[in-house]
Amino acid sequence: MYIKILLNYILGYVNIIVEGFFTERFINICMSKNIFLFNIKRDKSSIIYANVGIHDFKNVIQIAKQTKCKVKIKKKSGLPFIFNRYRKRKIFVGALAIIICVVIYLSNFIWNIEIEGIDKIDSNELMQTINNEGLTIGKLKSKVDLKNIINKIRLDRQDIAWIGIDLKGTNAIVKVVPADSKPDIIKEDEYCNIISNKDACIIKVNAQNGTPQVKEGDIVKSGTPLIAGWMEGKYTGTRYVHAEGTIEAKVWYTHKTRVLYKQTEKTRTGNQEKKYTINFNNFEINLYKKLSNFENYDTIREQKKLKLFSNLYLPVGLTISNNYEVVNNDITYNQNEAKEIGINKSKEELDKNLQDKENLLNTYINTYQSDEYVDVEVIYEVKETIGTKEKIVF
Amino acid sequence: MRENKRKNKINRLDKVLEMPKEIISNEPKITILGFNQMLIENYKGILEYQEFYIRLNTYIGIININGFNLNLSEMTTDDILITGKIESVDFESIEDEE
Repeated sequence: MYIKILLNYILGYVNIIVEGFFTERFINICMSKNIFLFNIKRDKSSIIYANVGIHDFKNVIQIAKQTKCKVKIKKKSGLPFIFNRYRKRKIFVGALAIIICVVIYLSNFIWNIEIEGIDKIDSNELMQTINNEGLTIGKLKSKVDLKNIINKIRLDRQDIAWIGIDLKGTNAIVKVVPADSKPDIIKEDEYCNIISNKDACIIKVNAQNGTPQVKEGDIVKSGTPLIAGWMEGKYTGTRYVHAEGTIEAKVWYTHKTRVLYKQTEKTRTGNQEKKYTINFNNFEINLYKKLSNFENYDTIREQKKLKLFSNLYLPVGLTISNNYEVVNNDITYNQNEAKEIGINKSKEELDKNLQDKENLLNTYINTYQSDEYVDVEVIYEVKETIGTKEKIVF
Repeated sequence: MRENKRKNKINRLDKVLEMPKEIISNEPKITILGFNQMLIENYKGILEYQEFYIRLNTYIGIININGFNLNLSEMTTDDILITGKIESVDFESIEDEE
């Protein structure tokens, strides 16, 4: 039933007024001739309102003549009449057609490149290589040879284990799986030395194979041999071996910070203004005056790309610049406060690199004062095992 | 009499096949939903239509519907949907001359 009404809506229907004494007969004849009437309403004794599909309307007039009824059209509704109303607005229809064409045309290009799975790899660098291989923003989708690009990048770059490029709409999603860099493994039967890889002070040398070259308390620079890959015997002479052993050493990490006594601190007042910019690829149109009303302000830019559905990006975007008003407060620290700040900053910085806090042996703090600032140097003394194997080359 | 026998046969067949009665016979099926909607299937025609009174002809008799603001919202050759405030429904069955 509802399907029939919907069909009538699509094909168009008219709301008619039938006036006469034999309206029941009119309805019965309509029914027997298979004319679908709906929403019939009675008004007074001689008038009925009804909806009829436009293809049946001519028959309805004939039946009305037979039954001596008058028929008037009250309202025309349905899709054909709506289209008819807009037929005179040629520019509107034209513009709509042009917009649809433009969207279809633009959807053949790549307008956005997303890179996923980058923690260790520099995304800018990767983007550069992808661009060089031929996948750039604004390129025809059909002209991009994805297989070729993937193969090239995989061959060129050692730090990428797998790369996949997926074209979804106008969006190119680049998925990257970074490879773990493996240390050079030296085989057991090859001769090697153990050399220091850090500047350190030796605590303990435990050589399982080879001759130790350093004693406890020695200070070594990176590159100095710790355990040499040969052994000297009284009778055998010099014999080369695969050096093996562990060396524990104190390693120093330093961090310097300079704290000025006089500092300006920015605080936001809470006032905010938004400025919008429309950009077509690289061409920008400012919707507001560029100058801000505030004297001092921070700007945070937010970029939004226009997209249809989830993956059909268009080269039209909106840039929202949020200007936050800020007030500069002058703060003067005294010596002790400045020192405290510097120490905390440096410690925080060093703690980031420290893997295990238990290995921290000592902390040294050096300060150098001047009229305007305090330099703080924090030194961490950390117990670590050092040394890497290096192949002996004859 | 003969017709009656035939009817009985059809009835028996219909019971065996478990066919819905409104399809086999010409009896109207009346469905009233709430107090505002009424669907009548298997009807013959409209005898009278007023805002407060509808008289429908069926194969076994006449259905009278009293109410207010009665509309024939959907109408096809074999079913009719009446909406509006329905107050009462009564039937006038045609006596079969047996």
